[in-house]
Amino acid sequence: MTASNDSVGGGRARAILSSRPFMTLAIVAVVWIGASFVSRGFGAYGHLRYLVELGAVIGLVATGQTFVVIAGGIDLSVAAIVTVSAISLPLLSWQMDPTGLASVLAVLALTTAIGVVNGLGVALLRVHPMIMTLAMATFLQGLLIIIAGGSAVTAENPLVHWLGNARPIGIPAGILLWVAVSAIVLTVMHATPFGARIFAMGANPLAASLSGVPVKSTTLAVYGISGFTAGLAGVLVLGMNGQGYVGIGDPYLLASIAAVVLGGTSILGGLGTYAGTIPGAVLLVTITALITVVNASPGWRSILFGSLILGLLLLSGREQARR
Amino acid sequence: MTTTAPLLAARGVSKAFFGNPVLRDVSISLQPGRVHALLGENGAGKSTLINLLSGALRPDGGIIEVDGRAVARMTPALARQAGIAVVQQELSLTASLSIAENIGLGAYPRRFGLVDYQELAARAKAACELVGLNEKLSTPVGQLSLGRRQMVEIAKALYRKPRVLILDEPTSSLSATETRILTDLLERLRSEGTAILYISHRLNEVMALCLHVTVLKDGTCTADRALEGTDASGLVRLMVGRDPGDLFPRWQAPPSPANAISVRGLSAGLMHGVDLDIRTGEVLGIGGLVGQGQEDLLLGLYGAIPARTTSAAVNGAAGLPAGVPKANALGLAYVPADRKREGLHLIHPILTNMMLPAFARLPALKLRSRKAERERGKGLAAQLGIKGDLGRPAQALSGGNQQKVALAKWMPHDPLVLLLNDPTRGVDVETKREIYLMLRGFAAAGKAVVLLSSDTPELVHLCDRVAVVREGRIVTTLERGALSEEAIVSAAMGAEKQKVAA
Repeated sequence: MTASNDSVGGGRARAILSSRPFMTLAIVAVVWIGASFVSRGFGAYGHLRYLVELGAVIGLVATGQTFVVIAGGIDLSVAAIVTVSAISLPLLSWQMDPTGLASVLAVLALTTAIGVVNGLGVALLRVHPMIMTLAMATFLQGLLIIIAGGSAVTAENPLVHWLGNARPIGIPAGILLWVAVSAIVLTVMHATPFGARIFAMGANPLAASLSGVPVKSTTLAVYGISGFTAGLAGVLVLGMNGQGYVGIGDPYLLASIAAVVLGGTSILGGLGTYAGTIPGAVLLVTITALITVVNASPGWRSILFGSLILGLLLLSGREQARR
Repeated sequence: MTTTAPLLAARGVSKAFFGNPVLRDVSISLQPGRVHALLGENGAGKSTLINLLSGALRPDGGIIEVDGRAVARMTPALARQAGIAVVQQELSLTASLSIAENIGLGAYPRRFGLVDYQELAARAKAACELVGLNEKLSTPVGQLSLGRRQMVEIAKALYRKPRVLILDEPTSSLSATETRILTDLLERLRSEGTAILYISHRLNEVMALCLHVTVLKDGTCTADRALEGTDASGLVRLMVGRDPGDLFPRWQAPPSPANAISVRGLSAGLMHGVDLDIRTGEVLGIGGLVGQGQEDLLLGLYGAIPARTTSAAVNGAAGLPAGVPKANALGLAYVPADRKREGLHLIHPILTNMMLPAFARLPALKLRSRKAERERGKGLAAQLGIKGDLGRPAQALSGGNQQKVALAKWMPHDPLVLLLNDPTRGVDVETKREIYLMLRGFAAAGKAVVLLSSDTPELVHLCDRVAVVREGRIVTTLERGALSEEAIVSAAMGAEKQKVAA
């Protein structure tokens, strides 16, 4: 919850300028401007558009992650769910589904169900979210290896192809999808009772439950949302990639959590906004792009990526002490 | 009395936070062998003064003296060396550590560089015996009731063999028996020459125990005098700055009551086999020693913990509510005792806290209206006298105001039954009076109010009936005519055989 209760415009403007989402946005702008001086092609419209398109995948995975983290949990199964989505979709090509919409919906239903199972474990069996979702990830990975083996599967789904490649009004469809999802998510998070319940649960689950918040069903919903958005990200990544394979989702676990935290959402729950996760996701792909520019070997790239995330978090993502 | 140098003293100390003066030119001196009372409403500056005396804060002006010598830079470490021990109002125990470990924490006896657990146990046991703690020393503190934890906190201070003992509202969660043990103990420490600073909102305790009193009002000292020759209402006048009137509103016979809740054979948590009728238009008190199951009774009725009954009716519906949302729908509301842990979302704005029950009941995806919320919040704040910007986090409020927020959030739902768990604990006199007025107001409006309280005078003067709980059962229900502190205490302690309820 940002300081939206301020009275007058001046106070509000200052509150926005000093807010964490805005700070993250400012970092992105500074890095983009700096990088375009150093490297010629970096600041080109086409390149920046490509960065945002890549950011859309992280942004979608981080959508559910933001909900889960604000509600006081964490979802370590998102990477595996992205892979489930990207692999099971090519396997589901039906003859009587010419647009591909039915298979996409079926896959999203599947990933949502996986999320709900996570929620059941957390809410009803009282398994710690970390253990529950990590176990789920391990389970799914095993299943995927059995189903898909080591080979990549090619998607022949028109809708998925369109999502990954089309550019209506000059903007990649993936970015449009991200914009639409973001609008819905920000509304649900900050303008509905459901959103308010999630913040309450994250800040103090006991007080929330004694105030009548249906904690169990809300937990199911939150993990369900995370499954859904990870599934959606899987569909998009499949469309952009053309092929799905085991491990395609792996980069998105750390990326989704880092985007959430870089955006100013408290990893302890109860405070934050998706408005910060959006620039957080763009910042992450920007860092990846910069590392690619440096032209280091894969090992060094990974080391650089990890150190840069840590550095950025030290700079801006540290938690303030809570009483 | 001033022949000996004070063990600990503050001379003309001032302190401001962010430019707001909290203490202005306050002096206090703690003499050996004297119990000194520190009185004042919430926010008067008592806690700040304690923090200055114990070195947790540095004064902006003025000096702190130990044994008559000025200390340039008082620190917590120096305070410990000087034998100053503070029992904080906010319990500072670690729930997962045992009683003995908590008591010795920070001052474990060592042997060959390792913790000497035998020595620790022996010394912790001695401290526990002083306060009448007979639980096993290896019990994790988290398993103890609030009152017992308070005793551990006191034992922790005694373990350090203090010369100066500062107690910040030590009895706010203690039962009558525990309070008596503490009183005897303080009396003994005093006779051994310990200087004691005693902070309490319970004036009768202060009158009985203390010899000297310092009263703070809005950060200045309004009295520093012997207690002899003053009475309770005189003290309240000094604290509030005006005539206290009567703390409790006049009692009126409730209008023809009907049963709001009726349970037979209720078992929940520690409680078993409870028959209870809660009537509309009355304030029903729940009394007894701390931790006899009273809280489980409320939580069971509220659907927050599993409960079984042979028969039950709640506002016309059969059976107890299966969960909190169901209970809210039936018109029940619950205000918890521990407002920081159970009642409020401290990091969230006051306004959000007030709106939470509404958020819990509205359709999940209905669009919120910030404007309507602000309006409603302002109305609630005006109704309950909550001052200041509602956009601040709830942790910025004083204890009394936090309690008002915890109450306020239920008001828009117009609950038929209010279940209150010790609503006046750690609340200043003025807020207490406001809360009492409100509770009688609810009853007069035909609601049922259930008041669980550890404050016996409150039960006697405010309630229409009091159910006394001992060992998980209601041992007696005292009607208005039979209500007295003696009757409640003796029933709570089992001193008297079942008194027949009319």
